[in-house]
Amino acid sequence: MTRPAGPQPPRLLVRTLAVILATVALLLVAVFVVVFVSVRDQVRQSVTSDLESSQRIYAAVESRRQRELQTQAATLAENPTLKAAIDTYAAEAPTASETRRSFWLTTINNELDKVAARIEADAMILADTHQITLAAVGRLGDRWPRGRPIALAGKGSGTLDGVVRAGPLVFRVVSVPLQLSDTPIATLYLATSLDQQYAEELQTLANARTAIVSDGLLVASTLPMAAAREFEASPQSRQASGTAVLDGESYAFRQLVQIGNTSFFALASIDESSRAATRAAVRNLVLIAAGAALLALVASVWLARMLTGPVGRLSASLEAAGRTSGVRVQLPLTGSSRELDTLTETFNAMMASVATAEAQTQAAYTGSIRALATALDARDPYTAGHSERVSVLSVAIARALHLAENDIEVIRLGALLHDIGKIGVPDEVLKKPGALSAAEFDIIKQHPVAGARILRSVPFLESHIPIVELHHERPDGRGYPYGLRGDEIPMHARIVHVADAYDAITSKRAYRGARPSGDAIREIWRFAGTEFHAEVVAALATALPGVTTEGGELVIEQVHA
Amino acid sequence: MPRCVILGACLAVCAIAVRAQTPALDAGGTITGHIRLTAKIRAPLSANAYPSRAIGKHEAPAIPEIRNVVVYLKDPPFRGALTPLRVELRQQNETFVPHVLAITKGSTVDFPNDDPFFHNVFSLSSAAGFNLGRYPRGQSRPWKFSKSGLVKVFCDIHSHMSASILVLDHPYFAVPGADGNYEIRNVPAGQYTIVGWHERVGERSASVRVDAGRATAVDLTVPVEDVP
Repeated sequence: MTRPAGPQPPRLLVRTLAVILATVALLLVAVFVVVFVSVRDQVRQSVTSDLESSQRIYAAVESRRQRELQTQAATLAENPTLKAAIDTYAAEAPTASETRRSFWLTTINNELDKVAARIEADAMILADTHQITLAAVGRLGDRWPRGRPIALAGKGSGTLDGVVRAGPLVFRVVSVPLQLSDTPIATLYLATSLDQQYAEELQTLANARTAIVSDGLLVASTLPMAAAREFEASPQSRQASGTAVLDGESYAFRQLVQIGNTSFFALASIDESSRAATRAAVRNLVLIAAGAALLALVASVWLARMLTGPVGRLSASLEAAGRTSGVRVQLPLTGSSRELDTLTETFNAMMASVATAEAQTQAAYTGSIRALATALDARDPYTAGHSERVSVLSVAIARALHLAENDIEVIRLGALLHDIGKIGVPDEVLKKPGALSAAEFDIIKQHPVAGARILRSVPFLESHIPIVELHHERPDGRGYPYGLRGDEIPMHARIVHVADAYDAITSKRAYRGARPSGDAIREIWRFAGTEFHAEVVAALATALPGVTTEGGELVIEQVHA
Repeated sequence: MPRCVILGACLAVCAIAVRAQTPALDAGGTITGHIRLTAKIRAPLSANAYPSRAIGKHEAPAIPEIRNVVVYLKDPPFRGALTPLRVELRQQNETFVPHVLAITKGSTVDFPNDDPFFHNVFSLSSAAGFNLGRYPRGQSRPWKFSKSGLVKVFCDIHSHMSASILVLDHPYFAVPGADGNYEIRNVPAGQYTIVGWHERVGERSASVRVDAGRATAVDLTVPVEDVP
């Protein structure tokens, strides 16, 4: 099989593999995009709803905590010594001596200190009726020196709840009044510092990052510093809920509670949550992709085999057929697919019609050539039927020599045409009854070469040329036109040479009568080894009884091969 | 200061009306007058997480707020022996009754306990620092006040209980009646400063000239609302 120059097209397997892999990859990319988007969406929703429940939990816990603090504060407010000291101090302070004043203040401080240890507040502040600090105790009590006014900014659930600033610190406070006979004499504040620790406790409670913003300023946060600063500056910190991009991360946030200008926020990173989910999805997708690629490989190999296998078999048998039996080839059906079988059948049908056409063409050629040979024989009455007889006899000899059927066919037609070159020999030479002159004999000797030249113009007679060209060569090298010796002369030519001689001897000539078969054999035997090949002569002797009548006449029946 | 509203107008007004009266029979003069409580000094507390736990509060004797006012002369020259008084400050339904007491220096106050539970009486005041301890119903403990000044009295068991005892070193004082009228007798003739005192607003004063044998009327307005 020959192919046009240039790069070969890719194998079918490569193509199917590429197509299937590309399809799988496209599908996976689409799936990945869908999964990624939906994962993010779901994460945002779940984060938002988490924050909502955080808010509810916080609201519940915080209001309970405030109530508890208020209860604690109310219990503390029922301290008789404390009240007595406050009331007495208030009544007498303007006129009393420094000693007396410090006595009452010490009493107040002592009473406060006694209970401060049992209160979960960062500071416990006692303010007089003008909300001026009278005394303060607790971890951060020193932030409230005596005389410092307390401004309750923003009120919470109760009138006495709110947020109080003390320098840089912001406190969440609950307060209760101290009363004597229903008359307020002082206010007790329990203050919780809204510091980092509070933010972290809030984080545990809300299960989210937290930020506390007061008057637009960040008070405390568990966010990374950069994100916290961005949140402080962003307008979102004035909203109740939403999403914000802080330091490159996407956050959902929700205001847990707002007291005056102070807001408590819970924030959850959507990115952080979706990263884990996306990673899981990607891992699964990669596994699926690997599986799909493997499957695609197997499937495409199988598919390609299914196509290329029968096609390959088809082309192999075609090639084999082309090498051996020419156009008379019938391919077996592959049975792999209807299309391929149809193709094979079509091919077979086509080859059959080609073979038929060729056979007809050959028959037409053969017929014309035979007619030509017959016509040639007919030029001389003495040689009429000569070619037919030589053909029959040659076939008989070939059979006796057990030649292959192909060779016999070649010999049959070759023998028929062996004297075709005599067409170029003038009648006076050909029909000359007497002995030929040397010049005339030279003309005669040219007929094998002339015959070969005629046959060369017909492609399918190529294998017959040696018969025509060499049927006058002799084993001893004295033949013409080339003087070949022994084994140099092909078997076909040797056979036709013997058959030609036999027919010449047994035919009537202008200068002599026909001689009997026995004479002819004897005559030929005499020249076996010199003029004729011995084994062919032997074969002639063997073959003759099969093709001659009792009288020695050749039986010409199946000349029309 | 939302809980304690002093009406501005009342701050300015210490309306004093001095009227000439018919001469009295006594050697000294008499000051009479009317005390008017004008202003709301306290608003109800909007949030008290802890409701007042005073029991039987409603059964407590309703003392009109006017009875918590003391009218007296500011630092009058008094030479002579003060008559010691013996008065009671009862403890009833977790309340000191009366809420405000005015006595002369050297007087003794009894503190009977009428409640079916323990009470305690103590004071951290400069004029009288004492603690009578705890005692049950039916008992009474006395305390002699030998120093003038304001004495705040509390109960160490019931933190909402309080009383004020005004110990004066002269006899020229009075607690107005339920109708707001008061009378201070036997005041030597002279120029005085008369004071209307309430524990939450302090002193509201006016000038008064007392003539022997005559009654002088001085009306005072104290910016305290009479909460029924």
